[in-house]
Amino acid sequence: MTETFGGLTQEVVSGIALGCIYALIALGFTLIYKATEVVNFAQGELMMVGAYVNFFFVSALLEVPLLNGVWAFIIALVGAVAFAVLFGAFLDLIINRPLKDEPVFSVIMATISLAIILRAVMAVIAGPMTRIPPSPFGSSVITFGGVAISTLDMFIILSAVVLVMVFYFFFNRTKWGIAMKATSEDPMAAHLVGIPVKKVYRNVWIFSMVVATIGGVLLAPRTLLDTHMGFLGLKAFPAAVLGGFGSIPGAIVGGVIMGVIETVSMGTLSFHFPWVKEINDIIVWIVLIAVLMIRPAGILGHEEVDRV
Amino acid sequence: MLKLIGVEAFYGKIKALHGVSLEVPHGKLVCILGANGAGKTTILKTVSGILEPETGTIHFDQQRIDGMDPEDIVGLGVGHVPENRHIFPELTVYENLIMGGFLINDKAILEERLESAYHRFPVLQDRSRQLAGTLSGGEQQMLAISRALMLQPKLLLLDEPSLGLSPLLVQEIFDTIEELHRSGVTILLVEQNINQALRIADYGYVLTSGKIFLSGTYEELRREEKVREMYLGEGKYVRRARLWGM
Ligand SMILES: Nc1ncnc2c1ncn2[C@@H]1O[C@H](COP(=O)(O)OP(=O)(O)O)[C@@H](O)[C@H]1O
Ligand SMILES: [Mg+2]
Repeated sequence: MTETFGGLTQEVVSGIALGCIYALIALGFTLIYKATEVVNFAQGELMMVGAYVNFFFVSALLEVPLLNGVWAFIIALVGAVAFAVLFGAFLDLIINRPLKDEPVFSVIMATISLAIILRAVMAVIAGPMTRIPPSPFGSSVITFGGVAISTLDMFIILSAVVLVMVFYFFFNRTKWGIAMKATSEDPMAAHLVGIPVKKVYRNVWIFSMVVATIGGVLLAPRTLLDTHMGFLGLKAFPAAVLGGFGSIPGAIVGGVIMGVIETVSMGTLSFHFPWVKEINDIIVWIVLIAVLMIRPAGILGHEEVDRV
Repeated sequence: MLKLIGVEAFYGKIKALHGVSLEVPHGKLVCILGANGAGKTTILKTVSGILEPETGTIHFDQQRIDGMDPEDIVGLGVGHVPENRHIFPELTVYENLIMGGFLINDKAILEERLESAYHRFPVLQDRSRQLAGTLSGGEQQMLAISRALMLQPKLLLLDEPSLGLSPLLVQEIFDTIEELHRSGVTILLVEQNINQALRIADYGYVLTSGKIFLSGTYEELRREEKVREMYLGEGKYVRRARLWGM
């Protein structure tokens, strides 16, 4: 019994950690959608690119003699975030500006194309083989009352919580954060009060790319690094929809719920009910449909039908 | 202070303004009248840069502003209270006002402007932590005006500020407009409420189908039979054929 309980707790924590990463991807995705109404199907690939860039930095820095390992990880993260800032601004320039007011279909095609291009380009740069990214924590665990929890998972959860707190502060207490909300609510009114709307859009893309990068950096040591890891980003959609499409807290809640469901169904549930194994891949989608049947606007969504 | 010459504007392929020329002298309150769809809102949009005119020029304070970004036009001192208020419903009243002062970098000045907004409409202070979407129509209009006043604009564009308000509130809004006018703000007012508007306006333009049809002072416009028929409710019954535009 305690055995199962300990196992289940581990799974839940691991699921929350995975869910935090889904949440970060869904957050970036929701942010872009809310502010610019662009549905960015390349959000998972942005995460993949961020993870690779970080990996390149880490690999290079670990070669530097005298550089302590932890510092290598910190500097690499700073480097990856700096890259994300530039790359986000670049995406704003090539995707958002030309396509913002174009038909939804063109925009979707553009972001799908972007996803394919990013995968191909990264495959050329990084080579086809899967990489094993070094983790600053190795496979160490922390034990709480007999339950062993991976240090990496704890770190992921902690980072996500800190990040969400930073966002909360940004969106509710800073001028530029409030301006982002204002712009996504009513772009015309934002123009009329003097908010530099184009800069806000650029910041949204930068923000979204940075979040995706951090998600990728956290995810890479859990899975492996390959150019198809962006497909995981597809799970940002059910996460975003589950929580309530267009709702930022919803994206976070939806992501975490998905991570937990997935991990527990793959672990304990599959162990006790072997048939669950067969539906593992689709279980989050089943839950998604069930939730939408009860609450069409998602868990934290408003009953706002006109946009979706 | 504001001068439009031969402004033409389009929505896609639809031409909404057919060469509009008008002038708002410094310190004056000028009113644009016209039926629904005449193009009144469109004129204000071209002034604040939301819509770029296809041809024609717009000068503000000797400076050419057509083609400039809206935030730069706002920065020059043009405040715009749009039709239907367009407050930010999911932001608090306080945040709406802060957004009105987005271009102010000095905290002390921002505080001062906030104080004077609360002083002008105390109800906004009472509701400062409430989401703006929960305000009544009249309160939302007060918020929209206050938001535009945060930057102390030299020219204020007001688009049907009395729309949908009770007579008492209409009076309050017009009192505010008159007070602003007296304090030296130049105002371009779009109104359907023609009696009220012409009473306080220095000058009026009548717009039909994207063209200036008439202009003059209140007295001059009053004397025009067409204006009385169309707007002042004093006219004879219009022949049916004319009603259908034949
Ligand atoms: N966003 C728009 N897209 C297409 N046509 C528009 C748009 N806004 C206004 N129009 C058209 O332009 C004309 C002028 O509209 P508007 O300036 O809003 O008139 P008013 O403010 O005098 O009622 C109308 O014929 C209207 O149908
Ligand atoms: Mg109008």
